[in-house]
Amino acid sequence: MSEQELVEQLRHGDEEAFKELVNHFQQKVFNTALGFLQNQHDAEDAAQEVFIQVYNSINQFKANATLSTWIYRITITKCLDHLRNKKRKKRFAFISSLFSEKNDLLHDAPDFEHPGVQMDRKENAAMLFRLVNTLPESQKTAFLLNKIELLSYAEVGEIMKISESAVDSLLQRAKQNLRKKINSQ
Amino acid sequence: MKERFNKQEELLNAFDGIRPAEVPPFFYTRLKVRMENELEDRKEPFFLLRPVFLTASLSFLLIVNVFFLIQLYSGQHGSSIKQKNNRATIESFSDAYSLNTQSLYE
Repeated sequence: MSEQELVEQLRHGDEEAFKELVNHFQQKVFNTALGFLQNQHDAEDAAQEVFIQVYNSINQFKANATLSTWIYRITITKCLDHLRNKKRKKRFAFISSLFSEKNDLLHDAPDFEHPGVQMDRKENAAMLFRLVNTLPESQKTAFLLNKIELLSYAEVGEIMKISESAVDSLLQRAKQNLRKKINSQ
Repeated sequence: MKERFNKQEELLNAFDGIRPAEVPPFFYTRLKVRMENELEDRKEPFFLLRPVFLTASLSFLLIVNVFFLIQLYSGQHGSSIKQKNNRATIESFSDAYSLNTQSLYE
């Protein structure tokens, strides 16, 4: 089934077409979400939200981008929203802990171990994931799409709606920031 | 220095050769259940709890209250005028028949 036919059937609410779409994109969506959120449960939750949004807003999909690009964009938006919410909750928890009588300590999540990382690189990868979290959103997005999803500069640029040279610039700056952070440790 | 640089590069390349993570089992089934639940939650509530019905009933009650308040106010106002009229009639009656206390000593 071609992409256009799939979209057309989705617009008619065809359940089989939706199942095919999920089967085709679930790996990409879940893997991207896992890179951003660094937690299996959160990544599954975000991936579900992505497909629900795809199902609900398929009529807004315009053919000037591929379905894959559109789904990646939704995934990134959802993941960044998740991270912002998490930050907000953490900040609120910190403030409320200052005023509460209970002396609850706030703990950071333990280092994330991506299941696809090679055995001998697990430790370094966990550290790199922690450092990537401190990057600005655009640098983080470009870095993860290029390094985890193995997308080309052109594909990253299309998803982020920027030129290839802008992607290159973002990646250089991301690496520069990461180097600084590694040195300061 | 060189060792430090190598370590830095090693860390930066830690994602090299990464394989995509496996999607949790029964992902589609769980997604369907969630979608059905969300659809269920979005269903229209019992007609007595619909916002249109609630707004209409509250407006009706408000109008009835205002109507009765107006009635009550105008009723009180009317009765005070009546009372004044009654008093005037009694006074004029007593005047006409010289029934006030002063007249006894005249």
